[in-house]
Amino acid sequence: MSTQLLWYTTRGAGAVSLILLSAVVILGVLSSLRVQSAGWPRFLTTGLHLNLALMTVVFLALHIVTAVVDPFTHLGWLVAVVPFSSYYRTLWLGLGTIAFELLAAIVVTSLLRGFIGPAAWRAVHWLAYGSWPIAVIHGFGTGTDAWSVWFLVLSILCISAVAIAVAYRLVNRAGDPLSAARTEFRAGVARRPDR
Amino acid sequence: MSRLRVLAGPELNAGAESFAAHTQRLGAPQSTGRPLIETLVRSELTGRGGASFPVGVKWRSVVAAKGSPVVIANGAEGEPQSHKDKLLMATRPHLVLDGAFIAARTVHARQVVLYIGEEHKAPWAAMARALNERPEGERRIARIVAAPHRYVAGDSSAAVHLIDDGVATPTTTPPSTHERGIDGSPTLVQNVETLAHIALIARYGDSWYRSAGRRGAAGTVLVTMAGGVKHAGVLEVEAGTTVEEAVAMAGGVSEPASAVLIGGYFGAWVNAAKAWDLPLDNASLQTRGLSLGCGVVGVLPAARCGVCDTSRIMRYLALESSAQCGPCFFGLRALSDACSRIAERGANRDDLARLKKWALEVPGRGACKHPDGAVMFLRSALSTFADEFAGHPAHWRQQPA
Repeated sequence: MSTQLLWYTTRGAGAVSLILLSAVVILGVLSSLRVQSAGWPRFLTTGLHLNLALMTVVFLALHIVTAVVDPFTHLGWLVAVVPFSSYYRTLWLGLGTIAFELLAAIVVTSLLRGFIGPAAWRAVHWLAYGSWPIAVIHGFGTGTDAWSVWFLVLSILCISAVAIAVAYRLVNRAGDPLSAARTEFRAGVARRPDR
Repeated sequence: MSRLRVLAGPELNAGAESFAAHTQRLGAPQSTGRPLIETLVRSELTGRGGASFPVGVKWRSVVAAKGSPVVIANGAEGEPQSHKDKLLMATRPHLVLDGAFIAARTVHARQVVLYIGEEHKAPWAAMARALNERPEGERRIARIVAAPHRYVAGDSSAAVHLIDDGVATPTTTPPSTHERGIDGSPTLVQNVETLAHIALIARYGDSWYRSAGRRGAAGTVLVTMAGGVKHAGVLEVEAGTTVEEAVAMAGGVSEPASAVLIGGYFGAWVNAAKAWDLPLDNASLQTRGLSLGCGVVGVLPAARCGVCDTSRIMRYLALESSAQCGPCFFGLRALSDACSRIAERGANRDDLARLKKWALEVPGRGACKHPDGAVMFLRSALSTFADEFAGHPAHWRQQPA
């Protein structure tokens, strides 16, 4: 395989990962608003969030593997796991490693949610707010295309979309439509047995 | 009335058997410890609360788990049509207690909780009195806890949730209660009928247990005969007895039947013609996509409308959702509303299409199995009463509940 092809793949997969990860974050941020309509059932938000997240992992794997196996870079596999171990753009590449590891933690805990319980899962899920901005900074710092017009436009679109979603979420704090029913039901099943 | 093993002994209308009479009739149980667990595995005894989980496997897992175990005797019996647990607790409380304390000794439990439906007054009184007759060592580790009168309160995770946090709503599984239950300790939750069978297996062994049973099934089973039979009530039959034979033991049908509900509200409707030959044994029912559940056999007389009865039961199950998960709370309500519209205003294609579509979308989306059970019941109604659902007249109000 030509070295050029690997290099293009690394850059392309990186850009695609950025788009996907932004979409995942937006869906995640908006999921608690419980948006629904006849054409957009509620589970579509969470289903899309989940499936896009898994797809992000696939493109990230492509991004990382092609970068490491590219003979021109001499990065070595350690770089994919240990942050700031790269001779090349140590800081910027290390941020990418961190963003990837945070995302991996989120994906793994989500797949094991039944075993670790919702509280631990939720705590780890907050890391998403770290992973995404670090990934964006990594893109600007390391990216060969960082200052090309198309990448700038893409990044600005992703950043503004996430910013708008977060702002919208902060302004519209949707209540839990089940909470009233749950409280009423629990009133009927609550007993404190003598210990 | 048929009462072979757990209901054997003095007349049932004589009330609860005393500890002295019980000990004189049956002697003290022999086997506990590891050998008993292997005996239970060989007996192939399965749980009688509805889920039919293999008892020996559950005990092994409690023993293997880390922590000091707790035993819960589950006598919540929230299934409206079922009466076998209430009858057993009211008449043979010491058989249930034997089972519970044998379990406690075998798994080295620090505590035994008798979890009894608060509305079951007579069974509660009998169990409380019986507990007072037990030796000091047993009384010290046991206590009775009231199960709220709700359908989901009988779920094993709901029992643990109530005892831990005071709220009898189911929690997410896994981990199951036998892995992580009360205070995070392994918790052995067994239905009271299961415990009664264990008390006898600990005395007479697994080959004795398997010596009852027909058509390849093992042991005996308590069933509640309900609906259009001459003598509705609880029967103890050999596992593998057919529905037709059980109906005959209940005095036969009171009028021609159109369908039979096997397993209660989490069970399934079966066409009467197909139902008569079904063996009352969970393993063989499962090969037919059915389940014995809590042992309710409800006979629907041909004069009653299956659509209207299904609609009533769906309303009940929707209102019993504990409102923890959206798909269950909203999904069951939507399904129940569509059923009611067909029952009240007559058949229409839109609602029928909705029922079929939503019935596929709800299962597996709740923390517990409440939505799954309700939907399985509904889907059996949609196939058993396919013609009735397609051409239902608006006659809901004309039929008594």
